Amino acid sequence: MADADPYWDFYVNHAPSNPDNQINNAIRAWNEGSVFPVKKDVHSPDVMSRHVKELVRFFGGDAAAIARLPEGHEYPFAIVCAQRSDYDTRTALGHGGQAAVQQALFVTFNLAATIREMGYRATAKLQDNADRVAAAVGLPPLKPFTHVELVHTDLPLAADAEVAV
Amino acid sequence: MAVSVKPDPQTEEFPTPYLGRSVRIVGPVANIEPKNLPHPMNQRGALGKALFNWMHSTISPDPLARVAFERHAADKANVIRTVLMRAPRGKPAEERVKVDDPAVMTKHLKRVAKHLGADVIRIAASHPSFMYGSNPNDGLTTMGGDRPAGTPEELVRRFPYVIVATKAWDYDLIKAHRHHIGDAAYDFTLERSNLLHSALAGYIQELGYSTLRGAMNPQAAALAAGVGELGRNGMIISEKFGPRIHLTDVVMTDLPLVPDKPVDLGVEDFCKICRKCAITCPTNSITFEGKQIYNGVEKYKIKWETCYRLRPFTVQYWGQCLTCVTVCPYTKPNTWWRDLAIGTLRHTPIPLRPLVVRGLKALDDKFWGTIPNKRVRWLDYDTGIKPGEKACTVAGCTAQHGESHAQPAADSQVGYYFPLKENTNRFVKRG
Repeated sequence: MADADPYWDFYVNHAPSNPDNQINNAIRAWNEGSVFPVKKDVHSPDVMSRHVKELVRFFGGDAAAIARLPEGHEYPFAIVCAQRSDYDTRTALGHGGQAAVQQALFVTFNLAATIREMGYRATAKLQDNADRVAAAVGLPPLKPFTHVELVHTDLPLAADAEVAV
Repeated sequence: MAVSVKPDPQTEEFPTPYLGRSVRIVGPVANIEPKNLPHPMNQRGALGKALFNWMHSTISPDPLARVAFERHAADKANVIRTVLMRAPRGKPAEERVKVDDPAVMTKHLKRVAKHLGADVIRIAASHPSFMYGSNPNDGLTTMGGDRPAGTPEELVRRFPYVIVATKAWDYDLIKAHRHHIGDAAYDFTLERSNLLHSALAGYIQELGYSTLRGAMNPQAAALAAGVGELGRNGMIISEKFGPRIHLTDVVMTDLPLVPDKPVDLGVEDFCKICRKCAITCPTNSITFEGKQIYNGVEKYKIKWETCYRLRPFTVQYWGQCLTCVTVCPYTKPNTWWRDLAIGTLRHTPIPLRPLVVRGLKALDDKFWGTIPNKRVRWLDYDTGIKPGEKACTVAGCTAQHGESHAQPAADSQVGYYFPLKENTNRFVKRG
C-alpha cells in the first residue's frame, strides 16, 4: 500500500524542517500543572491499579503495567504506557513515524494530570529509563514496534513487578 | 419559503453552495461574527452573572472533569487544550512538495488522517459564507487568533480547501449522558480531535503549504464536505457514528485537494417524523415544528439560549447535557445492522421514505427505549447511584469512605441522571 502512495515515505521519514510543525515537541516542553490540594479516596491499591490501566486505554493507550521502583527513588511507582507503532519511532522521524509518540504523549499528559488532580504527585517528564522499565516489568512487546512512555507517581498502586532500574 | 440569492459578482465566483437536503441556503448569508457565538458572549458577561461565574469561577468537583475542560480546571496547566492553544504554530517549509495530481494528494491526506487516528475525514471547497466575520480570538478556539487580514472572499481564494476530520465519542460511555461519564467521553474526544487537527496542520505545513484554523464555521464545512446532515437537534449526523462526533476547528489550506460532496443519509426524512430529541430535551430547546429561515439558511434551529443557560445549575453533576445525542436513533454502535438500516433508508425512493422511517423508529423505541436511561459503570463512577446520594459500588474496595458513603449499593440496571423537570419522572425513576 505504501508503494502506491508517492508521499507516504515523506510522511513517515521526513524529519520536520521546523520543529514547531510537530505538536509532540510542545507537549514535551510543557511545564506540568500543580497537585490538587485535596486527595481523592483510594478504594484500594489493587482497584486503583485497575482504574489507572483503564484510564490508559480510555486515553488511547494500547497496554499498561505498573512497576515498583527501588527504595530511595523520588517516586515509588512508574506506570508504563505502551503504544503500538507501525514504525520504529527512534529512526522514523516524520509525522507518520512519530504518530505513536504523539498518541502516547496524549495518554501520559492526561494520565499524569488526572493523578495530580486526584491530589497525588505525578510526572510524565522522566523518560530516561522507559524501555528498560518496560522490559523489567514484563510488558510484552507490541508488533511491529512498541513505543513506551512513563508516568512516575506516588499514587498508592499495586505493582505488577518490582524493577531495579 | 425560498428567497432567491441576489446575483452579484461574488456569487458568480462563489456560487451558492449545495449543502445537501437537510440545509438550504435561500438568501444572502451574513458572516457569523464570533462575538455573537455563545462562549464569547458569555466570556464578556452578556448572558448574565450566573453563566459568567459558571465559566470563570467554577472548579469541577470531579478530577477527570478538571483535566478535561479548562473552564472548570483548578490549574489550566493540567489541561491539554491549554498546551494546544499555546503551542507555537510552526510555518510552511520553504520548499513545497510537488502535487501533480490533487486526487492522489487527497487520497494520501485521508490516509494520513486515519493513521493519526481520525474516524471521519472529508474535504470541502471553502466558501465565503462559511467564514466567520472576524478573528475569534476568544481564548476558547484552539487555534484561533492568527487569522491574516482579508475579507472572507480573499481568505477563501488564499485557502480554497477545508479539511474536516474528527473522532467519534465512545458509544458505551456516551449512554451515561448528563453524568461525569458522558462528559469524559465528550471532552477527551474533543481534545483528541484538536490534537489530530494540530498534527494535520503541522504536516501540511511540512509539505510546504499554508493552513488556517479557527476562521470557519465547522458545521457549514462539514455539510459541504459530506460528513453528515444537520438534524433536528442542531447536530451534524454522520454516516457511521450519528451525532456522536465533535466538530472542532477545521483546517483551511492551499494544498491542492479534491473536495467531497454532501451526502444523503435520510436524516432529512427521519427528523421530520422522529422528534425524539425534541421530546426529551430537558430545556425544550429543540423545535417540534418545521424548519426556519435564519440568516438566509433554511434549517432546524435550536434555541441555544435556553440550552446554554442550564449549565450553572448542573455543574455539580455534569457539564454536557448530550440528551439529544444519546436519544437520536442514529446514535448506535458502528455495526452491520446499523449500516443495513441506513443503507435501506438511503436506497429507498424519497416519497416512500416516511414508511421506512416509521418502521425504524418503532424498532428503535422497542429495543433502545423511548427515553434511554441505562445504568453505566466506569472506573468508580456509577449512574446507578441517584444524584445527591453517595455509595461505593466498586468491587474490591477496602476503604472506609465515612458515613456519607454508607448507602447500600444500587443493584438495578436503571441509570439515574440529574433531574431537571422535577415535576416529571422522565429522568429520575422514583418510588
